[in-house]
Amino acid sequence: MVRVDPTSFFGLIARLVLAGVFLQAGLPKVQDPVAFAVAIENYRIISGSWAMAGAIVLPWLEIVIGIGLLTPWLRRASACTMIGLLGVFIALHLLSWARGLDIDCGCFGESAGSPDYHWLILRNLALLITSIFVLRIALRNPRAPFRSE
Amino acid sequence: MLREFSIIALLTALGTAYSLISGLAPLPWAEPKLQAGEIRLADAQVLDVIWVDARSEAEYAAGHAPDALFYDQGDPAGSIADILERWLQAPRVIVIYCADAGCGTSRQIAEELRRDLPDAEIYSLKGGWSAWSE
Repeated sequence: MVRVDPTSFFGLIARLVLAGVFLQAGLPKVQDPVAFAVAIENYRIISGSWAMAGAIVLPWLEIVIGIGLLTPWLRRASACTMIGLLGVFIALHLLSWARGLDIDCGCFGESAGSPDYHWLILRNLALLITSIFVLRIALRNPRAPFRSE
Repeated sequence: MLREFSIIALLTALGTAYSLISGLAPLPWAEPKLQAGEIRLADAQVLDVIWVDARSEAEYAAGHAPDALFYDQGDPAGSIADILERWLQAPRVIVIYCADAGCGTSRQIAEELRRDLPDAEIYSLKGGWSAWSE
């Protein structure tokens, strides 16, 4: 009989949610890197060729770690990378909020107009906590989500 | 874990290469062609234009085009009011520039300004501020 470990079950749900969010974030930006480069520039941290390079690489990284989270042999590094990215995103949103920038966050490729920084930061914090949860499970039991008895 | 990171880096690099080879993305270092709504520096300099600087305040303070107005992205309404005031005094071509060829802020601001000032002739500067130093 196969018994589903609750931690593993919630871990699977968390991985599916995170993978869905990162794939949804990466795919539209791969289709329109120029628009994403503009969104990156609006944060006023990098500009020009660096922003364009970031706009080409970052969506692919999001897609790869989104799929990686569902792949047992890429799960730990994907979760680590996701935690790092979400930390950077939260820092960028806090910085933009502090500087009073009225910019499109560029998170999912679409133009959403003025940002709601409370929501953006809370959402990314929730995703960050979920990623840490996934990483903890992956480190404890890297390859077997289900336990047989 | 190092092997996992290497595989992620490799797959990301492959995706990036696909974007560049398939033409989905322009080469970051490529010389962009003159796009709709852009103007070359040489053409702008022969006109008596209103320069609008869309870079950061620190970059503006370090150097800017003659009599350029600073476009504060934290206060777009105030910046547009300043541009409108300058334009109403003597209607002429408005040229917006940002950091360099790859930046898109000037194009975005030009589009916004065209909506607010439909009668004005508005361009973004090809090459941005880096065109001045070439």
